[in-house]
Amino acid sequence: MFGLLEESGFQRVKSAVVPHFRFRKESTQSSAEAFGVKAVMMTAVKPANL
Amino acid sequence: MTNAADAQASLELVLKDEIIRMYEEVADNPEAQFHFYHGREAAEMFGYPAQWLDRAPPGAVSSFAGVGNPHERADLEPGEIVLDLGSGAGLDSIIASWSVGPEGSVIGVDLNPTMCLKAQAHAEASGTTMQCHEGRMEDIPLPPGTADVVISNGVINLSFQKRKVVQEMFRVLKPGGRISITDIVSGKQLTQSIVNDPKLWSS
Repeated sequence: MFGLLEESGFQRVKSAVVPHFRFRKESTQSSAEAFGVKAVMMTAVKPANL
Repeated sequence: MTNAADAQASLELVLKDEIIRMYEEVADNPEAQFHFYHGREAAEMFGYPAQWLDRAPPGAVSSFAGVGNPHERADLEPGEIVLDLGSGAGLDSIIASWSVGPEGSVIGVDLNPTMCLKAQAHAEASGTTMQCHEGRMEDIPLPPGTADVVISNGVINLSFQKRKVVQEMFRVLKPGGRISITDIVSGKQLTQSIVNDPKLWSS
């Protein structure tokens, strides 16, 4: 997603992991961790001079 | 279309139905347990202040199925036009409408027309308004340069065409506009069996 935002023209792309996010079911959480699945918050700006 | 394109189109249709079914189930049976957290429990987990959750209509809170708090970094200002992409039962739209005030506006877009009606009813019950348009995030039903801010909470990961979604967010933003989104990402390439399982996409 970070790369897609930059490639699409967004600037000042920032991301951070959402603290405390987890799946309710332990089996789902374990699978998610195995695949590096996490929740992130992202901000970005469309350039003003378009 | 090629066979691969046919297969993806077919899977997208199945996925669309599964997503609608899953989110309707959350909205209609908020007391049920899903393998993701939802409702007030999830909102509190992500730092939504109790006063927001007390003030919002119970139906909007109990149907919340986000994965974070896009308001935390949205820095919404009075008078701004906000697009809530995948507005669901409307909790994030309602909170945004409080931030932008009566001189601003909130536009929701959701795949499911039933959820649009719910979101609008919840907004009205909370003493505010929002317009909600049925539509796909890959083809946002708004003209270019509409919004000052796009918020979104846990829906972009549901799209097969994330590049198109990002391009659409860019298109509908005004120059100088911004996004504040929370979503699920994967650090590894998912296996084809996971990609082909609509239940996993919507869970």
